[in-house]
Amino acid sequence: MLSSATRPERQTDYRRFSPAIPIIIDNGGFNFRIGWAGESDPRITFRNLVYRPRHKATGETVTIVGDHDPVLLKYFDCTRSSYRSAFDSNVVYQFEIMEYVLDYGFDRLGVEDSQVDHPILMTECICNPISSRSKMAELLFETYGVPSLAFGVDAAFGYKFNQQHGICSEDGLAICSGFATSHIIPFVEGEPVLEACCRTNVGGYHVTDYLKQLLSLNYPYHISSITWEKAEELKLDHCYVAYDYAAELQLFQKGTKEAEEKIRCWQLPWIPPSQEDAPSEEELARKAALKEKQGQRLRDIAAAKKSTRISELEHKLHGLEDLVQQLDEVEDEELYSILSATDYNSKQEIESAVHRVTQSLRKARGEPCESEEKVDASLSEKYPLISIPDNMLTPEQLKEKKKQIFLKTTSEGRLRAKQKKFNEELLREKQNQEDEEKRLENPELYLEQTRVKYRELCERVDQRKRLKTNGNGNSSGGVGRGERLNSVQKERMRLLTTAAFDRGKGEDTFGARDEDWQLYKLMSRDNDDDDDSLDEDETELARVTTRLQEIDPEFVAKSDLAALQGTLEFTRLRPLTAEDFKINLGIERFRCPEILFQPSMVGVDQAGLDEMTGVSLRRLSTKDDAVKNRMCNSIIVLGGSSLFPGLDSRLEAGIRQIRPYLSPLKVVRSLDPVLDAWRGAAAYATSMQFSTQTFSIQDYYEKGESGLKQYQIKYSL
Amino acid sequence: MEPEVVNSEMLLPQNFSFKKVQMGDKYPKGHARGRHWKHLKQILQAENYQLYPTDEPNYLNIETPPSMYPSKKFCDITGFEASYMDPRTNLRYANPEVFKRVRMLPNEHVQRYLSLRNAAVILR
Repeated sequence: MLSSATRPERQTDYRRFSPAIPIIIDNGGFNFRIGWAGESDPRITFRNLVYRPRHKATGETVTIVGDHDPVLLKYFDCTRSSYRSAFDSNVVYQFEIMEYVLDYGFDRLGVEDSQVDHPILMTECICNPISSRSKMAELLFETYGVPSLAFGVDAAFGYKFNQQHGICSEDGLAICSGFATSHIIPFVEGEPVLEACCRTNVGGYHVTDYLKQLLSLNYPYHISSITWEKAEELKLDHCYVAYDYAAELQLFQKGTKEAEEKIRCWQLPWIPPSQEDAPSEEELARKAALKEKQGQRLRDIAAAKKSTRISELEHKLHGLEDLVQQLDEVEDEELYSILSATDYNSKQEIESAVHRVTQSLRKARGEPCESEEKVDASLSEKYPLISIPDNMLTPEQLKEKKKQIFLKTTSEGRLRAKQKKFNEELLREKQNQEDEEKRLENPELYLEQTRVKYRELCERVDQRKRLKTNGNGNSSGGVGRGERLNSVQKERMRLLTTAAFDRGKGEDTFGARDEDWQLYKLMSRDNDDDDDSLDEDETELARVTTRLQEIDPEFVAKSDLAALQGTLEFTRLRPLTAEDFKINLGIERFRCPEILFQPSMVGVDQAGLDEMTGVSLRRLSTKDDAVKNRMCNSIIVLGGSSLFPGLDSRLEAGIRQIRPYLSPLKVVRSLDPVLDAWRGAAAYATSMQFSTQTFSIQDYYEKGESGLKQYQIKYSL
Repeated sequence: MEPEVVNSEMLLPQNFSFKKVQMGDKYPKGHARGRHWKHLKQILQAENYQLYPTDEPNYLNIETPPSMYPSKKFCDITGFEASYMDPRTNLRYANPEVFKRVRMLPNEHVQRYLSLRNAAVILR
């Protein structure tokens, strides 16, 4: 809006107009138009906006009205304030802003005297609140010294203008979709019937805003490119109204060729990244050599560490062996003196240390380890105290006995576990063997059976997992938003609530039976109790998976598949292409204007344009169907938001549904939906009777606000 | 002021010969003034429309009533007709693919989609 427009020149022919010639102002929510009565076009048109940035060099707050060159904004600090409009919906409410706009408008029109000495005809919304109207009158009378004023509805002027050109008759309907609101105004004998008007608070602003929001949600990376102004431009260039919204949606949902042709692209400025040369052979070789060298260094360090450890251990072993020899040679008395010099208390301890060191030496050298069972077996004889009854032992020995018992039970447990593992292995081997036999008998059948089994197991395990985590364990943001509980948790909650609320109902017999107390066990049970059957399933699944991997060349495990998909999803780190800077306008092209017909899409709980017509017709006091038929035969579409292609045919289809069968219906676009209101007003003000319709400054001082409340112009003069 | 800015005539002058009261006199600088305007809602409340006869048209009673037809449900993301609603985010969606996207959306986007149709949760 503001980008391409130029500043209007100040008009120089103000002196040519006598004070009797009215100034016409179409004070629209989007554009402000000002000009002279009797002329065919407004002299000045600009966006009805005020911008008050701070001048960077001087720090002054300056005022900019309407369109301007955005390049010049570099001299201003625009962070503190944004565009301001005098309008809230379609009613003027900020008269300071309005004053700036009027200043600018009169200035561009070339007003030179000490006051604006011309009658003024200004448009306002239907049923403008009196306080807004009187503030406007106050501003014009007291600040600008206007001699007289007239207020009229823009759509009504537009309708009258079209009536004069024979587009519509004196009974009819004006459908006016503006910037902030949409109106239906019925006309009977050339006068608007205000009682039967209706207004829906949806207009061009909402369409643009909806488009902007949808695009910025769809393309979060380009949010800075999708400005309000750009959205407005896209709306004007590409949006259209679908004749049959549902059918159009179907078209896009199926992705037909027709729909593809309707998609418009908006290519954002994109600079391809500078191409980096692929590394040369030499470079690659150099890098590989460097890598190899580093690897070699690490390997050397590891080898050196190993050798030092081996030599250390050997040294220790030698020392211990010497000690053992020494101990063998000497007598018992000397034994203790030698032992006290070392860290060991007995010969046995030294022997076991020797054993340990030899073991770790073997490990370090990479030789196979001697199985521990033998050691255990030899050690098991070393629990002499266990078989002796307690009463025959000293307290110290008792302690020792306890220790021995503990050691024995743990080692026994370890043995048992080992045995179990061994048995299981045997079992599995046996199963595998059986399987193998089966396979040899009938390979195809066996393969098929295994696959089926695999699928079943997979499903069962998955189901278990899903039940446990309620199917949203992964890839979901925000846990706990209306989260459902799993079955175990649900059961627990049920028990708790029944326990809380069932008490006090009739006789309380809780606790009379022993089973009652079982309830607490259920309640306190944690929900993550492991099911044994699940484990079984999992082990079986693992077995079948390995089997399948062995015999089936086409087999891919599910977990591998998931991993593959995961990698696919995360390989997004590629260089950006022009495609990433392209914004597609497909369904948005007709989805956004659709809010005029279905305001509920943007949360406005009011009827859309086609249904409004029916509401308006029902509100008419006349019950004469002939009048209504006449009116429907002269429906005219006005306003900036009626520029969408296809709007009139859609309206016709919509209104036909609410009218009686075969009743006359004609929907036409006005001559110029945007300018007709101003032109109608300019034509109206040329009439000889115009001065009878104005509200003069004397009226203002005599009657004040109540006079303005009564004030109502007649449109047919 | 830079010559370009002056030449473009983009700045509104402080004083105009045709005005009886200049902007600077009306709103003197350096004087703190409260909000001197009312929002449309406040204006309408101050109008006291309830005191007027009901058959007289006014700004409030010319408003269109809600539609007589049930409003159609559309997918918040794609705009297609939506048969489902996600109970967790309250977003409507058209098919399972969109549902996947719905569940991937950050909470901020969910709220923005909801506020498009005036259904967002507003915390005060």
